[in-house]
This record gives sequence, C-alpha cells and structure tokens, in this order.
Amino acid sequence: MNLAANANIALYSSMIVYTLAMLAFTWHLAARVPTIEGVRVEDREAVLVGSGSRDGEPAAPETPSTPYAAGLVGEQTLKSRQRGNIALMLTYLATALLVSSVLMRGLAVSRPPWGNMFEFATAAAAAVGVAYSVLAKRNHWEWLGVFIVAPILLVLGLSLTELYTEAGELMPALKSYWLGIHVSVAFIAVAMFTIGFAIGALYLVRRHREEKPPAKPNFIESLPTSAALERTSYTVNMVGFILWTFTLIAGAIWAKEAWGAYWQWDPKEVWTFVIWTVYAAYMHSRATAGVDARKSMYIALAGFVAVIINFTLVNLVSTFVGMHNYSGM
Amino acid sequence: MSTDLRAPRTAPPEPALPRLGPVGLLRWAWRQLTSMRTALFLLLLLSVAAVPGSIFPQRNIDAGRVADYMAQNPTTSPWLDRFGFFDVYSSPWFSAIYLLLFISLIGCIVPRTKVHVAALRSTPPRAPARLHRLPEHAEVTTTLSPEEALAEARTVLKAKRFRLHAHDATSVSGESGYLRETGNLVFHLALTGIIVGMAVGHLLGWRGDVILAEGDRFASSAGTYNTISPGPWVDDESLPPFVLGLERLDVQFNETPGRGFGMPREFTAYTSLQESPGAPVTRQAVSVNHPLTVGGADIFLLGNGYAPVITVRDAKGTVLYRESTPFLAQDGNYRSVGVIKVPSAQPKQLGITGFFLPTAEPTFANGPVSLFPDAKNPEVALSIWEGNLFPGGAPQSVYTLNTEEMKQVTKADGSPALVRLKPGQTYEMPGGRGSITLERVKRFAGLSVRTDPGAPISLVSAILATLGLILGLVIKRRRVFVRVRREPTAPDAGAGPPVTVVSIGGLSKDSDAGLAAIVQAVHDHLAERKDRP
Repeated sequence: MNLAANANIALYSSMIVYTLAMLAFTWHLAARVPTIEGVRVEDREAVLVGSGSRDGEPAAPETPSTPYAAGLVGEQTLKSRQRGNIALMLTYLATALLVSSVLMRGLAVSRPPWGNMFEFATAAAAAVGVAYSVLAKRNHWEWLGVFIVAPILLVLGLSLTELYTEAGELMPALKSYWLGIHVSVAFIAVAMFTIGFAIGALYLVRRHREEKPPAKPNFIESLPTSAALERTSYTVNMVGFILWTFTLIAGAIWAKEAWGAYWQWDPKEVWTFVIWTVYAAYMHSRATAGVDARKSMYIALAGFVAVIINFTLVNLVSTFVGMHNYSGM
Repeated sequence: MSTDLRAPRTAPPEPALPRLGPVGLLRWAWRQLTSMRTALFLLLLLSVAAVPGSIFPQRNIDAGRVADYMAQNPTTSPWLDRFGFFDVYSSPWFSAIYLLLFISLIGCIVPRTKVHVAALRSTPPRAPARLHRLPEHAEVTTTLSPEEALAEARTVLKAKRFRLHAHDATSVSGESGYLRETGNLVFHLALTGIIVGMAVGHLLGWRGDVILAEGDRFASSAGTYNTISPGPWVDDESLPPFVLGLERLDVQFNETPGRGFGMPREFTAYTSLQESPGAPVTRQAVSVNHPLTVGGADIFLLGNGYAPVITVRDAKGTVLYRESTPFLAQDGNYRSVGVIKVPSAQPKQLGITGFFLPTAEPTFANGPVSLFPDAKNPEVALSIWEGNLFPGGAPQSVYTLNTEEMKQVTKADGSPALVRLKPGQTYEMPGGRGSITLERVKRFAGLSVRTDPGAPISLVSAILATLGLILGLVIKRRRVFVRVRREPTAPDAGAGPPVTVVSIGGLSKDSDAGLAAIVQAVHDHLAERKDRP
C-alpha cells in the first residue's frame, strides 16, 4: 500500500468536504440574519430579562438602541440550527480526513509529518480544524465556521499547488526529537492565533455596527456581543501566546543542540521573537487601564500578520536567508 | 508597569502647575518610564526594531554577505552601516530600547512585589453593603440561621480555595487568585534572568572553530583554532586541553531525482578524543543535533566539505607542498574554492587557486560547475600565480590569494595555464616550474567548540518565565462576598417563621468567565440546604 499516495487522496477528499462545509456554514449564516418583523416585542423582552438577571428581578434598565442590537443570540431558528449542525458534521468529517492524511504521511516517512513547508502548512490546517471542531459544539461557534473553513481551504489549496513536496527523508538538521516538540507546538499555537484572529476581526466589525447601527441587520447582528467576542478572542490568543512562548524556548534549546548557540538572531528567530513581542504587547495593553479594547485588538491582528510573514516571506524570500532553510523548495 | 498614575478627575478650576525641582523632575521621568503605557510602547518599538535585522545581512551571522551587500549598494550602505543596520542587535538604538524596557520592568517589579507581599499578608476587604451592585450577584432565601448559612457559604468557598475573613457577624469576605500576581512577578523577574544569562554567556563564554580533514588531529589551545572568539572575561589558558582527531566523515545526499535532489541526508564525523594529551583515546561520533561534550565545552559539527590532497614539486621532483587543503563550498552542489600557497618555490613564490568540483560537469561549457554534492566525479580546476605571496608581510586568510604582487602563469602561447586534474593525475607547469599532483580527495569537518556558562541561567529563567506566564494569565483574582440578613417571613410566602436572606456578590479585576459559576455554586449550595430542618 502506498501510504503517501493515500495521504494525498485523503487530503483531496478533505478539501471537497471542507468546501461543502463552507457552503453549509454560509447557508447557516443566511438563516441567522435577524428579521425585525419576525421578532415579536414580547420575545425581545423575554430575552433581555433572561440575560440580565438571575433571580427574576427586572433586568438593568438599559434599552437596546436598535431592535436587534442586544440579545438575539438565543433566538436561533430551527432552520439555522439544523444548517449549523449539518455544517459542523461536514467539518468533523473533513477534519478527520485531513488528520488521517497527516498521519498517513507521517507513517509513510516514519517521522513527524512536518519537515517542510507543505507538511507544516497541512499539519497547521489540520490543527486549526481540530481546534475549531473541539471548541465549536460547546461554545456554539457555528457562526465562526465559514471564517475558519475558508482559510483552511485556502492554505490547503496553496500548499498543494505551490508548496507540494514528495514524501521524503529529512535533512540532517531536522533529524531530532525536537522536531516533534518544537514544530508541533508551533503550529498548534498558529492554529490558536488563526482562530483568535478570525474572532478578533469579527469583533471589530460587530463593534463598529454596534456603535453605528446600520439600516439593515445582517448575520453580524446575530453574533455574540462585541464584548463577548473580544473576551473570546483574548482567551484563544492567550492560549496561543503561551504555546508560542513554549515554541520560542523549545526552539532555543534545539538551536543550542544543533548549532551550538541558543540564540543567533537568525531571521526565523527574529520573527518568532517579533511575534512574541507583538502578542506580549497585546496581552499587556489589555491589562493596561484605559486602553481601548479595539486598539488592543489591532495589536493582536498585527501579531497575526507577523505570523503570516514568518511562514511565507521568511521561508521563501532570499532576503531572509538564515539557518532555518527547511522549506523544501 | 506599575499602576497607571494619572491626575485625579476633578481638576481644580485654575490648574496650578506644581513647581518641579530636579528631584521632582526625576521622579516624574521615573514614573513615566515605569508606567504600563510606556512599557507597552517600548514592547511594540522593540518588535519593530528587531525587523531590520532579518532584512539586512548581519555581521554577527555572515560578515561575507554584509560585504557583498555593501559592494552592491555603494550609496546607501555606508549610511545603513552608520546607523547600525548591519549590527542591529548590538546597535545603540536597539540596546537603548531593551535596556529602557528592562529598567521599566524592574521599576515595576519592585513596587509591585511590595504591594503583593502586603496583599498576601492582609485579609480580604470588608463586604460592600449592596452586593447586588457587583458584576455577579445572586440572592437566596433559606430557613437556616444566619450563622449556619454563613458556615455553608464558607464551606463552598473554602473548597474553591478562597481565603476567608469575617469582618462582622453578618458577612464573610473571600479572595482567591493571589497566584496570579505571583505568576506575573515571577514572569517579569525571570525575563531579567534571561538577560543576565545572556550577559554571563557573552562575558564568560567562548567559541573556537576548526577545520579538520580526515586523518588530522588537533590539540585545543588558544593558538590552534582557525578562529577563536573568547568573551572579554575568558582566560585563554583556561581552555580545555583536549585532543581531537577526525578519522572519517560519513556524508549522504539525496540521489532520488526530483525537488529534493542533492539535499543533504546525513553528516556524521567519527572522531578520536582524548580529554587531555596522554589521556586514553575514546572513539566518538559527532553529528548534526548530536554534539560531543568534553571538559565543559560542546563540540558541534557545523560544516563539511572537501580537502583534496595536493602535492607541488619543483623541477627536480623535490616535494615543496603536500597537504590536504580544505576547499570551501560555495553552493549546494559543493563547488568549492581554495588556495595553495607555496612560499618555498623558486625563483618566485607560487600561489595556486581555483575550484574543487565533487561531480564535475565534464565540458566546462559554463565554466567549472558541480552537478552533485557527493564525490562522484571529483576534479580540480586551478590557475597558477607567481610573485610575492605576502605583500607587505601582512597576515592574510589561508582561503584567499592576494594577487596584488603576482602574475598569472601562462603557457608558451601566452594563454593562462588552466590546470584540470582528477585524482592521481599530474600537471607539468610550463617553463620548468615543476608539477602539481592531485593525490586523492579527503573530506573535512567544520567543527565548532563552544562554551556558554550563561545558558543554564537563561534556561532556568525561561522555564520559570513560562510557568509564571501561565499562572499570571490563567488564574483570576476574584473576590466573593456573602452577606446574611434575617427577615421575619419569606418574601414570597405569606406569614411564616423568620428566614435568612443570603446575598452573594462576586468581583473580578480581569475578564473572568468563571466568576459567575462560583457565585452560582454558593447560591445552589444554599438553595439545596434551605429546607433542612
């Protein structure tokens, strides 16, 4: 049995299923669009009371500025719930296919399957899929699906067309058990940053529309409140930041073993450090009294841009030549 | 990073600016520097300042690429150099940012540690009068007595590791999550530990590089390395006196056609090692990711290449030069350049320079090119120079030939003599200058010997920093208050026995999804007990 070929078949299959999942998530979002006429006044009041108090006391006397500005999250119609479930099921299936593809590739080469850019991109996409699948059901993240599945598809497509490398043996510098530790934690961190970025971007849109209510509601108005989105994005980014700290330290330990010095300001090290400081600044700004959460979020988004640069430009552009030349390109 | 000290909101109508003496000015500057906003700004500045070092070549990584860059950009590069863009990480501006950041950090840790120590010793504050004003709150009516109700609430909070204190008989205050601030402080303190480790490594560490051909041995001392860079506080005499010989270097490259063709697969150096001259010899393998440790130093295999054994004889056949001469690889297929200097040649000194090609492209249609990194079809292509090898007697690198005072040797027809030799072949130089023989091809290993006494300090600090970071981010500082009051009857029932109304309020400084659950847990626990006789 040719495992590497089967790994590719599983990869293509997962892309097909992810495409279906993306369509289903879009379909789900369409069903979420709040229709003002459809929401009866009594319902809205019930929602407000339910969210604001614990003991049946009247809720805080704050009236929403528009009919749909507050608390429509609980009002999922049967239709949108069904579509959301279909989309989630498809995502689970696609993620399972993708994970099996990564595993088969690993078995085919008898090593951790993230030794070049193609493998890293695939494994990172799988990590995003797994992280989203695990968190989506519990947190009712159906609204996030399309913003997660679309980037996964983009990454898989680009890695197949631009980065594809035949399954093969590693170069000597990568033959170390640290490959399993340092790189896997790195892409799990990247997966968290990706989810944190998607939620963070939605937060900015949601908040903008809360402050300047648009004439017509769309699915954004069915999302959790901007404050809730901001908190969620922070929590996910925080997990990513802790993992990234570990990546940085594990990388330094490995560098000491492979190159004799734990820190040499090699371009990859520089960008790992830049990402770390930007996300550290984000954590810091969020703990600073008087800094607008929106400004903090801009820092986090900048951090994700650095993550992208670190994986693309730093690996592929010759300006950044350093010791981390493992793209396999 | 200390708490933001800002002017009180109620400013006097006539803002009377206080006179700042020199001390006041210093104090103001110190407060600015140690404020969280400044630290945030410095952090962002540090991340931006680090970027140029990944775009421009850096001297500490590859001085050769800096020289190339300067040659290609003669107008901009002197300015870039003046502002330290080729030494970003030791430039004044980069150093200024991180030093300010660390001063700011220390200026924040010290007062915060004092505050935290005081907080650790203090008791949770008195419960506010109106608990329903707190962000999380609940109320429950129970038939328990106020004392019993408080005791039940205490059990729940105790199990959730709250520190409890009763300021009066009708309330209890609880606080938890002191480890958050402890974690924060450990994290910031450990960051300074990493810097200390780096400084110790810089001052007390050293690095020596040596190129060893197969069959060669070398005894470690300050003079025997090809290059040595000791830290400012390193005593040259203290280097470990080991003796290292290279017996064989095993090299494998990918021979499968395709994208990975010619990529390295395996480098292993088999060495003989003596801890000191006269000590027993042990056989040790060094490979990438598997350094060798001897006498507190680590030996790394960082490079490799070919060292063809070349013999130069004079016209009478006397051997003037016979050495394995390392040629340094220039590309992935190990097209390598090297120099042979024969100062004893007569009447003029000879310098021979050129290429070693492990798998030579036979036609030389595009000049000397190697097709594969392994020695499948080795060949040297050399040109010969004569004259003064060392103009002015200045020291020079063994890998470059200074042709300032030399002339290229030509054949009878006036064309430059080009020497192409495969192993075992000999070339007779024109004009009775003697001969050049390529005896055989050996490999060399580029070994780097390093010590870094600061590394363990940095490592321990980094681990502590991570643990501190996790505590500081994951743990939430929470306060929960419980207040009881006696009411004659249950509010919802008509007449009846007196009841106890328990209010629970929770407060957290941070975004804290878990606080509601704790308030709820106290509420539920009391709600379950309320019908107990």
